[in-house]
Amino acid sequence: MGSREIHLRVNGGERRVVIEDQTLLIELVRSLGLVGTKLSCDSQVCGACTVLLDGRPVSSCTTLAIEADDKPVVTIEGLADGAKLHPLQEAFIERFAFQCGYCTPGMIVSAKALLDAYPEPDVATVRHWMDGNICRCTGYQTIVEAVLDAAEQMRGAP
Amino acid sequence: MLRRFDVHRVTSIAEAVDARQRFGEDAAIYAGGTELLLAMKMGVARWPHLIDVKAIPALGRITATNDALRIGATATHWDIERNALVGGALPALARLEANVANVRVRAAGTLAGNLAFGEPHADPPSMLIALGARVVLEGKSGTRSVAVHEFITGMYQTALAGDEIIVAIDIPLPAKDVRVAYVKFQILERPSVGVAALGTVRDGRFVGAPTVVVGAVDEVARAVPTAQFAGADARDARTLDAIAEAARAAVEPTADLAGSVEFKRHLVGVFTQRVCATLAAQAS
Amino acid sequence: MKQAHRVVGTPARRADGVAKVTGAARYAVDLSVPGMAYAAVVRSTRAHAKITGIDRTAAAASPGVIRVLIGDDLLAAGLTPYYGHVVLDHPVLAIERVRFHGEPVAVVVAETKREAAEAAELVDVSYEDLPAVIDADEALKPDAPVLHERRGERVGDEGMDEGEKGLVGNVCAIARVGWGNIDEALARAHLVVEGEYRYPMLYGYAMEPYNALAFFDQGDLVVFSTAQHVYMVRRDLARMFHLPLARVRVSAPYVGGGYGTKSYTKVEGMTAAAAFFTGRAVKLDLSVEEAMLTTRSASAHIRARSAFTKDGMLLARDFQIVMNNGAYTDNTPLVNSKTANRCFGPYRIPALRVIARSVFTNTVPSSSLRGFGAPQGNIAGELQMDEAAAKLGLDPVELRLRNLVGPGEEFMPGKRPLDADLKDDLRCLASALEWPGTRIGRSIGLGVSASDAGAYPTSTAAVRIHSDTSVTLFTGSTELGQGSRTVLAQIVAEELGVPLESVGVVNGDTGVVTYERTTGASRTTTITGRAVQEACRDARRRVRELAVQAFDLPTSEIEDTAGGIRARGRGFSYGEVIEKWFGAGGEVLGHGAVRRAEGFAKMPPFYEIGCTGLELSVDRETGQVHVTKLTTVGDVGFAINPALVHGQDAGAAMMGLGAALHEELIYEGGQLVNPNVVDYRVPRFSDIPDEMVHLLAERLDGSGPFGAKGAGEGAGNTVGSATASAIGRLLGIFPRELPATPERVWRLIREAERVRTRKTE
Repeated sequence: MGSREIHLRVNGGERRVVIEDQTLLIELVRSLGLVGTKLSCDSQVCGACTVLLDGRPVSSCTTLAIEADDKPVVTIEGLADGAKLHPLQEAFIERFAFQCGYCTPGMIVSAKALLDAYPEPDVATVRHWMDGNICRCTGYQTIVEAVLDAAEQMRGAP
Repeated sequence: MLRRFDVHRVTSIAEAVDARQRFGEDAAIYAGGTELLLAMKMGVARWPHLIDVKAIPALGRITATNDALRIGATATHWDIERNALVGGALPALARLEANVANVRVRAAGTLAGNLAFGEPHADPPSMLIALGARVVLEGKSGTRSVAVHEFITGMYQTALAGDEIIVAIDIPLPAKDVRVAYVKFQILERPSVGVAALGTVRDGRFVGAPTVVVGAVDEVARAVPTAQFAGADARDARTLDAIAEAARAAVEPTADLAGSVEFKRHLVGVFTQRVCATLAAQAS
Repeated sequence: MKQAHRVVGTPARRADGVAKVTGAARYAVDLSVPGMAYAAVVRSTRAHAKITGIDRTAAAASPGVIRVLIGDDLLAAGLTPYYGHVVLDHPVLAIERVRFHGEPVAVVVAETKREAAEAAELVDVSYEDLPAVIDADEALKPDAPVLHERRGERVGDEGMDEGEKGLVGNVCAIARVGWGNIDEALARAHLVVEGEYRYPMLYGYAMEPYNALAFFDQGDLVVFSTAQHVYMVRRDLARMFHLPLARVRVSAPYVGGGYGTKSYTKVEGMTAAAAFFTGRAVKLDLSVEEAMLTTRSASAHIRARSAFTKDGMLLARDFQIVMNNGAYTDNTPLVNSKTANRCFGPYRIPALRVIARSVFTNTVPSSSLRGFGAPQGNIAGELQMDEAAAKLGLDPVELRLRNLVGPGEEFMPGKRPLDADLKDDLRCLASALEWPGTRIGRSIGLGVSASDAGAYPTSTAAVRIHSDTSVTLFTGSTELGQGSRTVLAQIVAEELGVPLESVGVVNGDTGVVTYERTTGASRTTTITGRAVQEACRDARRRVRELAVQAFDLPTSEIEDTAGGIRARGRGFSYGEVIEKWFGAGGEVLGHGAVRRAEGFAKMPPFYEIGCTGLELSVDRETGQVHVTKLTTVGDVGFAINPALVHGQDAGAAMMGLGAALHEELIYEGGQLVNPNVVDYRVPRFSDIPDEMVHLLAERLDGSGPFGAKGAGEGAGNTVGSATASAIGRLLGIFPRELPATPERVWRLIREAERVRTRKTE
């Protein structure tokens, strides 16, 4: 069966990997030790497996890894700048916007895509964009607040 | 986890058509993958070969002429939602696309794929049918174009021939004073009722008959017979009641977890009224 | 009056914050060991059937396959092939018979996940169908097929139910509560409200599906898994492999959601058996669909009567509860008895009769889920208060205030008196919701509950004070996201007077930490928190002992200070005392234990209060409910971390809203038709109420540290009944079945119209 070498660009790093055609993106990133990306519903509903592929949020559970050939992939591990957390990560901590934390990587990556597309979102925009990410712990409100806080923080930053 | 398969990347329509012929029943066309890969993971479909058409440059384009939009087969919901041509010429379609599934499905899934799957609980078909859109197909014997309502022949069934691929969706643009609207009822992941309408309302009356197509509730989208409403008072509740009645009569709802036949038929009436009221409101 | 505290009472940042927002937090599903093999489960395709044969040849010959394991293998090897913390009736893998669609029949172990999955499809199981029963009321009928002709051995309980007494046919558990003369009270009542109520079977959808990694290390069994109650799982596994408790280690790292769904053994037995027979480390990760075939909560069908005087004083309540507990016992005896205790409410009730029966059916076994019987009972108990108020022309808040017990008042004879001021809580809630509400088209519903929470109050903890005065806490409580690491660390920092940053927490690993009975029943802050306090006090006592010897001081001159001691005008940090005593290095160990004695002598250890209400509107054409406001009152005695309390309240209330409006596991024939998150709809961002208000009531009346008592479940308990009550007051007919889906609400609207039409005719 088919396998091929792809040029992988994950979180700024580059490498070549050989994968089989049916390999899913989540299987690939987790096999690289990037296990922050989580599998849950396995049907594109919950968003726990969200990564950015070429700047767009995708369900890595239902995306073939070959799609990542030569396209940038950002996972939760790629957000912080060394020990300096991304404003979204800071805001999630500050607002207690997670509990068990299992949805959190996908939630934050999805929120990053949102802020890339809409740097000044209102509540309705946040709720609509994030509607495809499920959290069973928080009741969501603190997540909305965290995303809005981060947006404000990022606008204020030089 | 997916079972083993080979992906064949093609870079031209001709290559894609060749591959379709070569693999026959053993291959599926792969673009966004949001429906296909899900079905394969669930084990309801198993294909040893996938023909990846995303690298065919022509298929990704969205173009417009004076009287039509052409949406390439690999254009995603995300692309269409943000496309300036679509937003300018057919904002109702952009809005519909912005509310398909969730942001990740929109980022990867294509409009053509949505039609090709023949999934009954889908948003786009009703509006595309209302607009008179056509699916452009290319196969061994050349190009043909099929109206969307003839392309989707049943639940998960289409008129796509074994050697064909979808190249584009052609959407005629309605005249300037024609309003287009879509409303839906959705509790689960997919719509349970979606109603698209277009029509012109002048001085409170329909100019000609409005077009109303009900989707997501039946095995396929159904056009509502509306000829009798040509010139009817669009602001009169009795007109809307009568159109709703015609819509309820036009569908054979499928009972599922979102509701019984009776409830869904009722919803068809409600959302038909709402979409027609939207037409009238937009006009004033 | 609140005392001045330094660390407790503040919204300290979560101890697991950075790990969780960076993706660095490791869950059981993320763990691997070199050379591990993978397991896949073969599941029953029948609801009820005899297994007539299992052909493993094709699967065994499949590439990469190491072993195909069936229930008979466990029997043949002399293992205990059943588990269950109350009744030993749950086969690790089906033996002779399957009792529900989806029951594990075989486990395939292979070198890779893919090989295991592919081979699992090749296991050929033949069945001879038996009549199946899905509905609990049907299962009670004399001619119903019986699931367990022979009952499993009873291996433990907390004395909460009637044991095996009176269990016939498919009855799994019976609980009775009652006093007074019901018939006499009903006869003299001004009003008797009567009805049948239904609460759905639910799936908790903790987002990390059940998984485990197991291996044997020189005969010791080591298991990493998603277990909430690591010590309960340890006991099941020790029994299964005939190992001493000391030779079984169960560890739960970060757990991706619990809510009760990960209480007790799930996949640990299967995975450990696979490790036992292959001699390999084995990993088993379930999919969400498989997780939905593993555990659910019990649905309830309740026939209830409540009798009132003209003034709305309760005279009697009568509940007959039938719960569908699925194919095996699991935690049913406890859930069943809690449902019985929690249905009638913290009211003065002169005469009460509750009979709760849980019934075996050919469905997924049920176990704990947030609220634990309370939401099920509440839909009848609280809704009848609203129905009565409507019939008596009384304000539902006033009706409740007239009947609620006050602080310190007993409402279950012999049990702990109420440790809360529910009347005041309810007034706060009503006021925050602007009760009775004046907005057109909106309606408010609210309710109260007092749950006998805390489970059995056995808990231990240990703290090690190091030579630099930093501290490590050892606790058997698992971090499910509730924030136990943070709260318990706050308690340590407060008690020992050290900075929060210098407290480390090691938790949830039976090989390392001290005994904890369970992490559930909202008990950690209250009960584990007390054990932690005791451990800190023990450590301080040890430090003083060391100081006496090290500095030659009389005991009477030593006083405790923040982070150390003081004597003869001089302060010494813990570290100084430790290093002085040892000469170099060293540490002090403090151990704390609490049991059913002293503050926890009387059961329950505390009551968990539910006091949640909401305002909603209904689309009268579609039946769709929109929640405009949700308000919780967190009556927690003292909020050790207010932000975490709000988080628990918001989460519990939203989960309650899911069950109130959408969530329901649906069986058609013998099969669950929505075992996935596509068709089982949990709350989304789009379901956030327009406004959310979380209030705190802190009266220092809890039995836990600093006057605290538990949270985490209560806020959800009344959401179902409050939703039904708000809809009912808006439409004129109360929904008695949840979830209030659009179609159900639409049908109520039509029924209300018909009633109105009949009245005008």
